[in-house]
Amino acid sequence: MIDAWNRGVWGPYMRATARWPALRSIVPFVPLVVLWWAVARAEVFPRVFFPGPTDVVAAFFSLTYKGILPEYLSDSVTRLAVGAAVGIAIGIPLGLLVGLSKRAHSALWPVLLFFQAIGDIAWLPILLIWFGFGLTTMTFVIVYTVLFPIVLNTVLGVRSIPLDLHRAALSLGASKVRVVWEVVLPGALPNIMTGLRNGLGYGWRALIAAEIIVGTSGIGFMMFDARRAGSVVEIMLGMVLLGLLWYIVDAWVLAPIERATGQRWGLVQRQ
Amino acid sequence: MRSLASAALFTLPLLVLVVAWELAVRVFEVSPRVFPDVFSVGGAAVESIADGTLFAHVLASMTRVVVGTLIALLVAIPMGIAMGVSPGVSSFFTPIFRFFSVLAGIAWIPIATLWFGYGFGAIVFVIFNAVFFVVAYNTLLGVSSIPMPLRYAAASLGTRPWQMLWEVLLPGALPNIVTGIRTGLGFAWRGLIAAEMIATNVGLGYMLFVARDFYRTEVIVFGMIVIGVIWLLIDRLLLVPLERATMERWGMVRAA
Repeated sequence: MIDAWNRGVWGPYMRATARWPALRSIVPFVPLVVLWWAVARAEVFPRVFFPGPTDVVAAFFSLTYKGILPEYLSDSVTRLAVGAAVGIAIGIPLGLLVGLSKRAHSALWPVLLFFQAIGDIAWLPILLIWFGFGLTTMTFVIVYTVLFPIVLNTVLGVRSIPLDLHRAALSLGASKVRVVWEVVLPGALPNIMTGLRNGLGYGWRALIAAEIIVGTSGIGFMMFDARRAGSVVEIMLGMVLLGLLWYIVDAWVLAPIERATGQRWGLVQRQ
Repeated sequence: MRSLASAALFTLPLLVLVVAWELAVRVFEVSPRVFPDVFSVGGAAVESIADGTLFAHVLASMTRVVVGTLIALLVAIPMGIAMGVSPGVSSFFTPIFRFFSVLAGIAWIPIATLWFGYGFGAIVFVIFNAVFFVVAYNTLLGVSSIPMPLRYAAASLGTRPWQMLWEVLLPGALPNIVTGIRTGLGFAWRGLIAAEMIATNVGLGYMLFVARDFYRTEVIVFGMIVIGVIWLLIDRLLLVPLERATMERWGMVRAA
């Protein structure tokens, strides 16, 4: 039995994935979707509560046709992109400052740790009082969320650069600016990338929460609006889209960059 | 003595921040509906501690986190190890778990409230999800990153399956498991606050969100401080020591 399985199914699968690695991230979802379809089809749970994949695909096409989905999707992605850009623009210089200057470190580090602990979503109520239900509130939350992982990781990266490298560059006559630009920044880059990746992961979740609670547009809003109407199909569609989007961003954009910086500038030593 | 001095050095910037906050509120005459002064936050603290509401909210939130996390760990760690043992199986399951660990937490709130109704069940489900997928994924990674020669060596020395699990696979994966728990709890904590704002009538998130309806900024700010302090305590007193201990004891880190 196991032997037949190995020879008939598993073996060919392993050979196929060895040849086309892209299969490795697609094929595993096939049995999952089939299982989902079977459970929904057998109506183990009431159909309204647990729609099948075909319903979700149908909802995808009808919402795309109505033009709601593309608009919400681009809203969410734009918010995340703007938030990430602002977060990076503030986070990296701040991280460099705190990492390089002892005084800034002892003055700001506890404050940073504390504000990082408060967490993005806890800010929502007071932001709603300040800015009302709108874009400012959401942007603030995302920037806040993206900022801290970047700052903390940049500081970590800057501090992990061996002092010898600093001194070597300085004694070879490099100016302070050049040391920052050519020693500190590249040395901290792997950590900065890790921070960016974590930050975007948290920012993504914060965006969903903000859209659910603030609720004007976006995928999170679509899901919660569907919840109010009791339409599980649209909620599931939202979840699948969120997962897919992040999967694409993470696996095809962030992970390769991280790998590249890690190999290029990281202090990884070949053995 | 030295640790006392460093603790003082650590709290000094926070004290400066509090003083600056009070000064700013006074000088600019900020309306209490926009931002409270230090003393009214203190008043809100004393009031909510005296009438027991703070305790009730914290207790409710902590119960949810503990229940959700424990269930998740009990399921996730055995599952992660089982999937990680064979390289083929683990590479098959990796994308699925990666996909679901992205959805961890907040994205489950709408459907959880629909399936379980508003209340305890939905929130515990959200926390379970946040912790489960991240921990299972990390356990899987941890087990599959144990060098095969180690396992062959153990097997050829006559290790029984049970011993293999207990003395090779679990310790080897432990640093990854702990990292997973730390990340998962971070997601769970955020998910908890968000879920409590939406789906319940007791808990820290609810406390903040109700205060917003009445423009009681002093309660909101106090709640934010409580949330921050609890998370700092969990992180510093539980997660960081745990991580450090497992890293030193079982990690592949060698003393330089």
